[in-house]
Amino acid sequence: MPSALRRTAPPAVALAETPLYEVPRLSGAGTEQSSQPRPSVVRELYQAFKEEGRTLMDITWEQHRFHESRRWSAMELLSAVRLDQLSELDRFVVWNAGRAEMTAKPSADRMSRLADRECRRFLGTDPVVASIIQSLGTWTRYWNEEEGHHEMGFSQLARMLGFPPLDDAAVIDQRKVFPDDDLLRTVTMLAFSEGIAAVNYGQYGRRARDPGFKALLKHVGADEVQHMQYFISFAKALVDSGAYAMKESFAVAHLFLRPGGELYGSVREHVESRSTHTNWWDHLESAVGEETVTPELLERKRSLILHALKRITGISCASAEQVEEQWMELVGC
Amino acid sequence: MAEVADLKDFICRKFSENVGLPPDELFGQDLSLAQVISRSEKMNNSVDLMEAFAKSSNALRKQYGVRVRLPALSLETPISRVVELFVQECQQGRVA
Repeated sequence: MPSALRRTAPPAVALAETPLYEVPRLSGAGTEQSSQPRPSVVRELYQAFKEEGRTLMDITWEQHRFHESRRWSAMELLSAVRLDQLSELDRFVVWNAGRAEMTAKPSADRMSRLADRECRRFLGTDPVVASIIQSLGTWTRYWNEEEGHHEMGFSQLARMLGFPPLDDAAVIDQRKVFPDDDLLRTVTMLAFSEGIAAVNYGQYGRRARDPGFKALLKHVGADEVQHMQYFISFAKALVDSGAYAMKESFAVAHLFLRPGGELYGSVREHVESRSTHTNWWDHLESAVGEETVTPELLERKRSLILHALKRITGISCASAEQVEEQWMELVGC
Repeated sequence: MAEVADLKDFICRKFSENVGLPPDELFGQDLSLAQVISRSEKMNNSVDLMEAFAKSSNALRKQYGVRVRLPALSLETPISRVVELFVQECQQGRVA
């Protein structure tokens, strides 16, 4: 054995004894099924680290179990799609979703970079906050992998439908890693974006006729719901820790909910053209974009955002106006 | 209600403080909102800018008792247009 390896070899343990390490149940985790708790998002992350003494390896195992229990195969789902059953609108949904999902990777890459930087900032002063943020950084590997299924699922389906693939220059351009911002703002924004994406996929799935295509949309939508739950959990933990100001979550909620805000996606009056990165959700083709802002869907998205904001901050708002009022109060002069 | 000139002066002073740019640069060159973000050391993005305007609005509320609400603005909007919108909102006299 090389000396470097010998130095880091694990301690010897006797087999067939009591378990080396028993992982007790986490607060807010799923209900028990037989002897194994059902994997789920740990909702009270601050409490888990601060009061229950959980370690990063405990939390990472929960993340891993949940990730593994939810995996699905893009190859299998694509093979079940009957291409000739897809309508013209379905085809545009596929093409647009493929483009939109391309920018999930640079978003997740940014999250990894930002989480690592912020984790190290708190390392010497607040180890609980450092652990919360590291659990976020670690989880981005599962998020990125799951988004990879979405990207490849839709992009490959678009090719099967006869759309030309992106050329290398376009792929490289779409991979521009998103710029950094305040961590709580970023996590809150992602909670909202994942919720909005879930509503959009749900809507496309309800309208689609082909069972194979429906199944693909359903799997992607369910992943987005799970991502939203994770981001809510991380944002809540940051607020609970007191290390991040909840006004940042309100600022993002206001950004989405105000008249002409991000909630209105590609059909809002002002869509910024950015040189720093691409957010394809801002550029959905007209018919596909309009379908995501019907009054019913907007109401569903508004409710989701208000619910997420309440989970994150503990403050309940019933309307966009109340969010603005609360945010203004928190901002001060 | 205060005179328009007083209001304008107050709004400009608050904008300058909250975005962290001297009035000469901010208003002399009538910077666009994108330029404000790129030139100010306090600003990284449009959320920072939104917060700077919210603080200015809160200051107006405290000083004059009026409530200013701003719509979503394109980053190409010049700062003079934002001042105009603030003044118009004040003139509509929405009491806080």
